[in-house]
This record gives sequence, structure tokens and C-alpha cells, in this order.
Amino acid sequence: MSASKEELLKKLSDCVVEMEDEEVVSVAEDYIAAGYLAFDGIMEGLVDGMNRASALYEEEEYFITDILLCSDAMYAGINVFRPHLPAEEAGSQKSKVVIGVVEGDTHDIGKNLVKIMLETAGFEIYDLGRDVPLDSFVNKAKEVNADIICMSTLMTTTMEGMETVINKMKDEGIRERVKVIVGGSPLSPKYAEKIGADGYANSAVEAAKLAKRLLGI
Amino acid sequence: MHKNDKMTPNERLAGFFSGGDIDRLPAMPFTVSIAGKVAGMTHREKRSCAQNQAQAQIACYERFGNDGMTIEYGLHGVGTACGSITNDPEDNIPAIIDHYLKDLDDLDKKLDLSMIKRQNDPWLQLNYEATEICLGKYGKEVGVSVSIPGPFTAAASLYPVEQLLKATRKSPEKVHQLLRFCTDAIRITIDEFTKAGAGLFLCDPIASGTIISKKAYREFVLEYSTELVDYAHSIKNTIGYHICGNTTKITADMLETGCDILSIDNRVDLSTTKAIAGNKVPIIGNVDPITVMMLGTGEDVDRAIKECLRKAYDSPKGYIVSTGCDIPINGPIENIDRFMEATRKFAKCPIDPKNFE
Repeated sequence: MSASKEELLKKLSDCVVEMEDEEVVSVAEDYIAAGYLAFDGIMEGLVDGMNRASALYEEEEYFITDILLCSDAMYAGINVFRPHLPAEEAGSQKSKVVIGVVEGDTHDIGKNLVKIMLETAGFEIYDLGRDVPLDSFVNKAKEVNADIICMSTLMTTTMEGMETVINKMKDEGIRERVKVIVGGSPLSPKYAEKIGADGYANSAVEAAKLAKRLLGI
Repeated sequence: MHKNDKMTPNERLAGFFSGGDIDRLPAMPFTVSIAGKVAGMTHREKRSCAQNQAQAQIACYERFGNDGMTIEYGLHGVGTACGSITNDPEDNIPAIIDHYLKDLDDLDKKLDLSMIKRQNDPWLQLNYEATEICLGKYGKEVGVSVSIPGPFTAAASLYPVEQLLKATRKSPEKVHQLLRFCTDAIRITIDEFTKAGAGLFLCDPIASGTIISKKAYREFVLEYSTELVDYAHSIKNTIGYHICGNTTKITADMLETGCDILSIDNRVDLSTTKAIAGNKVPIIGNVDPITVMMLGTGEDVDRAIKECLRKAYDSPKGYIVSTGCDIPINGPIENIDRFMEATRKFAKCPIDPKNFE
């Protein structure tokens, strides 16, 4: 007898929490073969697992290593589901985030964690990578009509670049409609306020919560 | 000797460690990245030759009278010796942009300890000479300690950190093999800098409690670090230990290495550290290098030092006033002057708690 939808969703979620990046593929294939909706498999299976992993991270049960491996499992599952998603659910109405590590800095592990958490939270991500020229944040945000710009840095010498981006946003007339979130080890809420960001997040999980709060989601 | 001091750092530290009389508590703000600026150089100029690397520390000592010069072999030394590539910013700390190891299966064929040796690595040679220059000029007054990477950080200078972290689960035996190489490599640097007459500071930011769990620390860091501490001791050197970020949960584990001094980040509470480590080793820390030293006012510096003293002045094995990590290159130098003056004022010996109420 084949497994019920609920059982398979639970298994998908568990695979993510338990970092089973191979087993998750066969469970996802079983799920599709049984004729269940791919969208639910992602949201109620994989994303549910990633949310559980995030909670464990916040409780300091899980660490960065765990989150990286959980997200590998989540993406392995998503890759199975993606071809089975109906076209209109493959993007379109999601809120958009432009994210990157500011110019002069190449440390991107924190940015990558934030990206994982934002994707899990349902945002569409435009990842500019690391050592990103400051103009690129503004140009990309205009091009894709972004809702949020997320910037991070590990270095004090590149922090000021964030303020430059915010000023450029004002010059380009998009500051009013695009929120700004900043993060990274040397930053603080006080600094975020000083440079006129909308918010500071001290962890990847916090960044995703903040992004939702700022957009009223 | 600094005009406002009554003892040289060597005299003060001798008294500090033997329980003799001293004029004030030792002060060792991390003046590493910022040292070039103190000597009127950019960071690129500072790291370009032994003379400049030394001059930056000499300028710090002459201006601040801080209780130790620091030569920065640094976090990337093992990686760059083998062939990892860093960027070359004019006035910033270099970061690795291309790691030497692409695949842990290549470990055996790609890694060779001879690459670490001084005759084959210009960076080790540069820092060796810089140590000699510093000690030649001021060695009678003040010591040099060399920052060397901990094994996990050395591994991350050879192999990208995200992949390294994943490999701790996927192929732990390969990670152990890499750490074995790194530990042997760091032993070579310990040998060299001991020969040059420097003390040692083992820095392992990638082993941070913010990045890996206590379990991972015990499995991948502790044994190798203990071996390095034992090795330093076996050749009659001393070795401090610093891990960045929140290390509260691994404080006791860090002590198991047998390190001679424990340095803590500003994300750790000094009172907690005192409770766990105070009767085993001297503690050094932990004024916030960013909020206070870089962005704060002189009054903020005073306040921060008083708070540290309130928490740790009576730590049984002693307390050294310091920052929680390296002072940012773009911070005001005047805040370091203030740091030293505040220590002279508030941590004057015999200690009077009224001075930092």
C-alpha cells in the first residue's frame, strides 16, 4: 500500500531536518508518482522541515553546519518538484529581495544563510553575490522592482558602503518603496538606525522574520 | 618606557605572573590591523615588508605603551603558504578569494609540509624578520607575541568554510586528515617563531561558538589545539588562546587545551568567564572593538574599561585589560590612547575598586 499524502509530507519534512539529501529525492519522487501536488510538497513538506530546522537553530540545537546541510536537502527536494509546478505558481506574485555582500568584502556565508531563510519564507531572491559594486544594488532593485534590499558585511571597513547604497536609493527615487535590511557581525541596531536602514537582523532567521514584518506579510 | 608608566611591560608582566608588585594591570588592546595607521602607513604598506610590519608595532608601543607587540602571521598564513590566493586591498585586511584545495580527495597529492617552511614561504620569513626587528629594538622592555591560526581556521584558509563545515558531516575522516596537516603546519610556525623569541597567540575564529557546536569543537578542534599547546610548552614557550564570537559554552573545553592565557570576545560575559576560568588562567578581554573602540567616544571607552574591571579585576589568576577582538582599521587612534590612559587611571595598583565604581 502506498503512503498517504500526510505521511509523505512528514517524511519530506523529516528528511530536511535530518539532512538526508539523497533520501529526500526518492521521497519526493514517490510523492509525485502518487499524484500529489508539487506545491504542497514544497510548502508543507520541505519548507516545513526548513522551518523546523530554523527553530532548532534559534534554540542553539542546530548550528550553521546543520542549516547548510538542511538547506541542501531542501533544494534537492525542490529540484524534483520544480518541473511539476504549474507555471503561475513558479514565481510571479512573490515579494522580491535583492541581496548581496557589499563592495570590498568577500565573506558571504552569512548572506547565504539569509538567502536560504528568505527563500524558505517565500521570497523571490536576486542574489548579487559578494563584493557587489554599490550601484548594482540600486540598479537591480529598479530592474526587478524589488521590495527589499538586503546587505551584509563582516568587515568594518565596508560598512559605510551600506549608507552609500541608501543614499543612492534616495537619489534614484526608490527609497520610499524599497525597504532596507542590513546585517553582519560588525553591525548593530544603532548603526542600522544611523545609516537610515529600515531594520537590522542579528541572525538569518531574524532577517526573514524582519522582512515579513516590514512588508506586513 | 611610556612616559606615564612606572614599569616596563616586561617588568610588569613578570610581576603579574609571579604575584609581585606592579604599577597597574597590563593592557593589551588588539592593535594589529590598525597598527599601520598608527605608523602612518596603509595596510598594504604595513604588510609589504618586514621593516614596515615591525615599524607598525614599534609605533604602537612608542605611542601607547601597550604591554605587548603583536606580529600578525595571521589567519591565512598556512593557506597562502600552500597556494591559496588573497585579494590585495590598499587599506583593508586581505581576504582569501581562491582556496588552494578544491576537493578534499586531493589532500594527499596537493599538501606538502615543506611549503610551510620559512625558506619556502616569504610571508613566514617576513614575519620572522619583523619579530627580530621588534625585539632588537625594544625586546628589553616589551615582548612580541605572534598570532598564529588555530587548526580549524588554518583548514578554512585551504578549503572554503561552507564546504569545510559540510564535510565535517559528510566525510569527517577527510576533515581529520586536513586538520592533521594543518596541525603539523602550525607546529612548524610555532618552531620558527619560538626561535625568533616571540610568545604565541593561537587564534581560531572559525571554531567560534557562533559557527560550530560544542560537539563539533570537541570532535574537530580540541585535540589538535591541545597538541599545539603541548608542543609550545615542550619547547618552553607560552601560548594564549583566542576564539571569536560567543564561546560561552566552550569556555571549559578551551581550557582543556592547557593554554596559558584565555582571551575572550566581547560577545562573552567576563563575569561568566571569570567563574569558569578565573582560577585556572589569566583572562584577557573584552572591550567591544566596534561599538566602543571604533564608533564610541572617549567617555564610552572609560565606561567600558570600568565595566570590565568591575567584572574581572579580582579574577584569581589575574586579569589583563584588552579588547574583545582586533580594533578596526578605521577606528580613531585617539580611542586607543584613551584606552591606555583609562587603564593607567582605573587599574592602578594596588587595585582600588572605588576607581571603577
